[in-house]
Amino acid sequence: MENRESMPCLELREVVKRFPGLIAVNHVSLKVETGKVFTLLGPSGCGKTTTLRLVAGLETLDEGDVLIDGKVVNDVPPYKRDCSTIFQTLALFPHMTVEQNIAYGLERRKVPRSEIRKRVGEMLELVELPGMEKRRPNQLSGGQRQRVALARSLVLKPKILLLDEPLASLDRKLRKEMQVELKRIQREVGITFLYVTHDQKEALAVSDTIAVMREGKLEQVGVPQEIYETPRTKFIADFMGAANILSGKVIASGHGKVQLETEGGLRIIALENRNRGGKVIAGISVHPELIELLPLDAGLEGENRFKGRIIEMIYQGDFIETKISLAPAGVLITAHVPSRLQTVTQFSPGEEVLVHWSPSSSNILLE
Amino acid sequence: MKPSNRTGIMGRIVARVLLALGYVFIWAPVIVLVLFSFSRNKFGLWWEGFTLQWYAELLTNAKVGQALQTSLIVAAVAVVVSTALGTLAAYGLYKYRFRGKKAVRIGLLLPIVMPPVVIGAALLAFFSKVIRIPLGYPSILIAHISFSVPLATFVILGRMARIDWSLEEASADLGADTLTTWRKIIVPLLLPGIIASAALIFPWSFDDVTVTFFVAGTGTMTLPLYIFSRIRAGPSPIINAIGMIFVALPTIGLVLWTMLQSRVSGKKR
Repeated sequence: MENRESMPCLELREVVKRFPGLIAVNHVSLKVETGKVFTLLGPSGCGKTTTLRLVAGLETLDEGDVLIDGKVVNDVPPYKRDCSTIFQTLALFPHMTVEQNIAYGLERRKVPRSEIRKRVGEMLELVELPGMEKRRPNQLSGGQRQRVALARSLVLKPKILLLDEPLASLDRKLRKEMQVELKRIQREVGITFLYVTHDQKEALAVSDTIAVMREGKLEQVGVPQEIYETPRTKFIADFMGAANILSGKVIASGHGKVQLETEGGLRIIALENRNRGGKVIAGISVHPELIELLPLDAGLEGENRFKGRIIEMIYQGDFIETKISLAPAGVLITAHVPSRLQTVTQFSPGEEVLVHWSPSSSNILLE
Repeated sequence: MKPSNRTGIMGRIVARVLLALGYVFIWAPVIVLVLFSFSRNKFGLWWEGFTLQWYAELLTNAKVGQALQTSLIVAAVAVVVSTALGTLAAYGLYKYRFRGKKAVRIGLLLPIVMPPVVIGAALLAFFSKVIRIPLGYPSILIAHISFSVPLATFVILGRMARIDWSLEEASADLGADTLTTWRKIIVPLLLPGIIASAALIFPWSFDDVTVTFFVAGTGTMTLPLYIFSRIRAGPSPIINAIGMIFVALPTIGLVLWTMLQSRVSGKKR
């Protein structure tokens, strides 16, 4: 028996959307809790934007159901759904002032003039653009336009805010600022966000839950820490920028551990992953900051100790990005050596070193 | 024209002469027309003394007034109907995929590229034999609309390609139904295209002789048809007077427009 509080604000059940020649959304099911930020993350063409548009009602689905607050909205047109979209192009009406843009949705609801003026003013306060009512979109900066688009949608107090790569057109510094702004506004208003982006760093910064999409399917759903630290598949590890992805097959297991052998003959130990859902272990990934470099005389006994030669060292400020080629496989490993440590160990390119990481640092990849 | 120093005096003289000749050929007929509209001579062929009698006659000549009215009504209706249909056609062509789309496009292009004589003759045969449409206002209107809609469609289609269509989706997203979105967002955004087509269609329709000649029948006269029939009877200063008005009006309009433009851009600076 579901009580009111546990009912998800948004739910998709086995949603399918086809276009000529491809299945854009392939049996996607997900639940978004009220007041949380749920992000669809993936490369271009993975179906994340189509999924968002299905929720908005801008596309009609072929199979499955979209439920907002427990009610099926499949046949409800976009102007009757209780959600609001922030478009990638922002779509501010160029022939209207800021005030008229924000008031647009309220006018459609026949809200009285005086009430509209009040709410527009409140919104502009919230997005920190007071006094901008009479400006036109082409007189605003990129960040300001963002905020107007937000105000325009939020003033309607929708159940869900749908954001389609909202920060894509901003430069790096502005993007970082706006991420913080968005989070602040979201917390303050308490509204549910469905966020779409291809930028993994943005997803990590903004989300409560991330769903990684690939070719129309959800590949992994979890909190940002899970997606970053323990990506489930090679695709996700690669997409999140995990540097060390090693393919291999399991050759032995026991005592809660598994041993894999890569094509190049490296024997890697990882901790056993019990909930594999019947999938096969295809390799492991290790984060560069979890790899330790030791002098050769530290010895090869022990788990996950490999001999290698330093190919390159690139100073990055607080760490040194070090590329090592492992013998005998010739596999390239990237390690982040803390700068402070380097002043002690003084490794240099061309030197032979010992590469080590603990079995618990081996992240199992499935396929 | 600023020829480089190396061109030499000869080159500059030749260039200036050619320019002058060009202007002469363009403007001489017009100047003659304007001058002789004030001449007392009955045929408007040589100067006999200044008079405004021909303009006075214009004002009292019922036929001219009637023809002018007809032309204005036809042009106005053609503009309104064609821009409306053209907008819808452009929207359909731009946004929807359907069978026979290419055929529709080619079909729309035809009236623009076919010789007006061919169109005129074909329409006459069509109105007399295939569908009985009375020759007069109905046939003229249909003919003018037929060759104006394609024009409006393509002009507005060009405008459609330059619009951010997520604006239409945003309007729907914010709660506007289709009609409201059209009223408040799509039409205002398309307005430059609509005005441009109106600006093209009005003179085209007003000025048209060939097609109108075929389909007008006996009872109805547009201004160009009137002028045409009068000219056949021999040159007349009334024609000059009409011509003078249609030279003066656009010229004044253009001068005012340019003055307004420089005022506006001057202010902006």
